[in-house]
Amino acid sequence: MPELPELNPVIHGKLRLAVLSLLMGVDEAEFTWLREKTGSTDGNLGAQLMKLEEAGYVAMKKQFVLRKPQTLYRMTEKGRTALGEYVDALKQLLGAAI
Amino acid sequence: MSAEKVELTERLELIESMIAEGRRSTTRWAWTIVLWGVAFYVALAWSSGMLGGPIWGQRYMAWPVTMITTWLLSWGLAARMRKGANAPMTTVGRAIISIWAAMGISMFALLLPLGLSGRADQQVILAVVMTLLGTANAASGMLLKWPAQIGCAVVWWLASWASLFGTATQSLIAFLVAIFICQILFGIYAMILESRGRRRQGAVNA
Repeated sequence: MPELPELNPVIHGKLRLAVLSLLMGVDEAEFTWLREKTGSTDGNLGAQLMKLEEAGYVAMKKQFVLRKPQTLYRMTEKGRTALGEYVDALKQLLGAAI
Repeated sequence: MSAEKVELTERLELIESMIAEGRRSTTRWAWTIVLWGVAFYVALAWSSGMLGGPIWGQRYMAWPVTMITTWLLSWGLAARMRKGANAPMTTVGRAIISIWAAMGISMFALLLPLGLSGRADQQVILAVVMTLLGTANAASGMLLKWPAQIGCAVVWWLASWASLFGTATQSLIAFLVAIFICQILFGIYAMILESRGRRRQGAVNA
């Protein structure tokens, strides 16, 4: 029997998974947009984004637009690959559970 | 169903719903379709001498001036609308903008030397313009999986054939009808869909 894959713990967290999935379809996104879409709090979202940044799955950029600070996040190539592998593992596990 | 399977299924559904949410465009763009339709009508009326006055008398300027002005207007208004919103540029959005920008540049690159070289034939020009508009509509429609826009592409291509096989008057009528269907009617339909989508989203977020 083939060995079942393990799920990447960095991605498996619900909020981190939601953020990565959101970033999958956009070039880059503002912190406020991610907060609005996930319905999370500033503190929780900030902490989860930091974990993703430490893992190298997202990259952060700060800028000023019309003198207002903006924090932008984008998915890195490493993050894209990791999410792809996570989805493959998830499908494999679901297939085995049927 | 085991608890583990339920959790895994939930994760998969979360990924799908979040990707869809991220791709959902909150940008309003349907007005540009109507704007370009009106611009085509203005350019046609100007170039055919239907508009009077000292400026309107310069008929050879009708298409370049109208098209450049409309492009600047679309670009300026779109940039202004995006400035206030925090919605990100989606991958699909960038793809659609690229298609229309490439089509616009191709049209300009082809029609300007065609006009300046004096090799322009009105029916051929209209056929080229309509074929290019059909191509851009088809590409956008396929990308968005939107049958109505693919239908517009078919209308443009049919009008293009009519332009080549009909008389000069029939060619012009085909162009006017295609503008009305694919720019004015389709643009208004797209604006209604956008407005409904925004209302639905507002109700969900409330």
